[in-house]
Amino acid sequence: MAQSSVRPPGVSEAEFKDALKAFAAIVGPEWVLVSEEDRHSYLDAFAPGNPDEHASSAAVAPRSAEEVQAIVKAANRYRIPLWPVSTGRNLAYGGSAPVLRGSVVLDLKRMNRVLEIDEELGYALVEPGVSFFDLFEALQAAGGKLWISTPAPGWGSVIGNALEHGLGYTPYGVHTDTICGMEVVLPTGELVRTGMGAVKDSREWQIFKYGYGPVWDGLFTQSNFGVVTKMGVWLMPQPEAVANVAISLPNAGDLPVMVDTLRPLRLNDTINATYTITNPFRSIVDGFSAQGKSRADIYKGTGSIPFDVVAKELAAEGRGLWNATFNLFDRDKGLDLRIAAIQEAFAHVPGAKVQTRRWQRGQPFEQWMRVQPGLFALGIVDWYGGPGGHMNYAPVVAPIGKRVGELYEAIYQRFVEYGIDFYAGMLNVGPRALLVNAVMFFNRDDADLIRRGRELYRVLAKDGIASGFGDYRAHISFMDEAADMYTFNGHALRTLNERVKDALDPQGILAPGKQGIWPRALRGNRGKS
Amino acid sequence: MRVLGPLVMSGLLLACGVAVADEASLSAKELQGKRAYDHICVYCHGPGVWGTNRLAKRLDKEHALLENRTDLPAPAIRAIVRSGVGSMPPMRRTELSDSDLEAIAAYLTRHGR
Repeated sequence: MAQSSVRPPGVSEAEFKDALKAFAAIVGPEWVLVSEEDRHSYLDAFAPGNPDEHASSAAVAPRSAEEVQAIVKAANRYRIPLWPVSTGRNLAYGGSAPVLRGSVVLDLKRMNRVLEIDEELGYALVEPGVSFFDLFEALQAAGGKLWISTPAPGWGSVIGNALEHGLGYTPYGVHTDTICGMEVVLPTGELVRTGMGAVKDSREWQIFKYGYGPVWDGLFTQSNFGVVTKMGVWLMPQPEAVANVAISLPNAGDLPVMVDTLRPLRLNDTINATYTITNPFRSIVDGFSAQGKSRADIYKGTGSIPFDVVAKELAAEGRGLWNATFNLFDRDKGLDLRIAAIQEAFAHVPGAKVQTRRWQRGQPFEQWMRVQPGLFALGIVDWYGGPGGHMNYAPVVAPIGKRVGELYEAIYQRFVEYGIDFYAGMLNVGPRALLVNAVMFFNRDDADLIRRGRELYRVLAKDGIASGFGDYRAHISFMDEAADMYTFNGHALRTLNERVKDALDPQGILAPGKQGIWPRALRGNRGKS
Repeated sequence: MRVLGPLVMSGLLLACGVAVADEASLSAKELQGKRAYDHICVYCHGPGVWGTNRLAKRLDKEHALLENRTDLPAPAIRAIVRSGVGSMPPMRRTELSDSDLEAIAAYLTRHGR
């Protein structure tokens, strides 16, 4: 077996060699990946800076939950930090790279079976290596009666995305809410099933989340408390019809009225899926990326792209400055009623344009439906010309126009101050929340732009602390900063998380530092990512 | 695979003049490669999508669609897939086996056999 040039911290060369031998005895030597080429493939492909800062020492790729259990037990024996990944495509948040340099990636991609599809009850049971592409294909092959909710890039894991609080664009678009029942390997190697799965031979595992006693599923999302090896996911029955609604408002100050007009429509379920409001700059970029264009096609200056350049482009396209889009799912007549209510609400907003298009069962899928997974959205990463990447800052805010407008303006001013183009979407999470998803694009060979982007994230996180906001998800380089934003009572939530961590994972081997949760022995690493 | 691919791609294929490989003319290995290509590569390297658009800009339209190329050497295909290039991330062994990678290389170099 090849030797790795990187080792887990505090582990001698001999111990590491023994650990890799133990892993090889479990999965076979071909699935312990230590060559330079293999280790390179686990680096963060969109790293904001030197990817070697988060380099893994090796990867081990099991085929079953039993092999995961054996690996976890061996990792405890040799004190090897493991970083589980499902498909390893968590790009913009670290890809398949660990927080702690030298961790061994526990690559679950080979566990890629769709174990069950139940069209009567609308669910699937899947393993972590199942991508949105895979599940989509399996559902189509089964007859297409159930639809997935997919995030923008479809190569991610159904399980991984739900665990990381990912989002899609259907009524099932808050993916964490669609989780029903997990099988989990704990950090000490025991296997548990949550909810009704705790009843031996239960057939109700995927239909009732709560079981008896505490609901554990949430504790295994955005955490390092276990390795999820199976998960139930609720799926939407194919609707009779879908409509897309695109709303455009003309003025620079129209964000609050957009938010306030959409809010009651979402709250009363007239809008029955997640919506996105795009800022003026994003409205241009999304169109450009589909055409293979980039920044140099409209602006060659330095600093944040001027507002008048953006406004001119949108005017040329006949679009307003603030745009929102979402899909509606219903019978055809139901869509008529929903669209009429939306048109009536926006009739009161000066200059509003509402455009619609429709799909009916039996017609081919179209890209605007966002039902078929794809990789179309990835075109935006090369905005600065490429090779690109991006980081996100996405604080949670209530859909109250004034509050969203103030937060948006504060973030916008910081982007201008740091000279970075301001790409932002207000993503709706359920009826009562928005994420102001502010994206920092960079070229990976532009050290100055990356430095400014990293400083910008940190200053935005500090601004968030000062004004009472919290980020919902963060890149591996900023997980501590994001956790720092949850300040109540001296970071009491982090203290609780770490108390649970120490109880479940006394050796601290599972994903140290994930979401800013550090095991006792490694807490000195906090803030050093 | 590509259960749905044809639904979306068929119009684009016609519009872009893609020479879709006749499966009957492919060797067993090339057919394995085409299927792996359709499962993994097509989402970025099909007609009208990200990778194709990037290559059209960097090279030209003739060289943008990998399935139409006659100048791709197998070692370069292997190296790019495993190491990544530009904004294309590397493909790990767990997501694309060595066997499927060899088959993809055979499929994309079939014109020179």
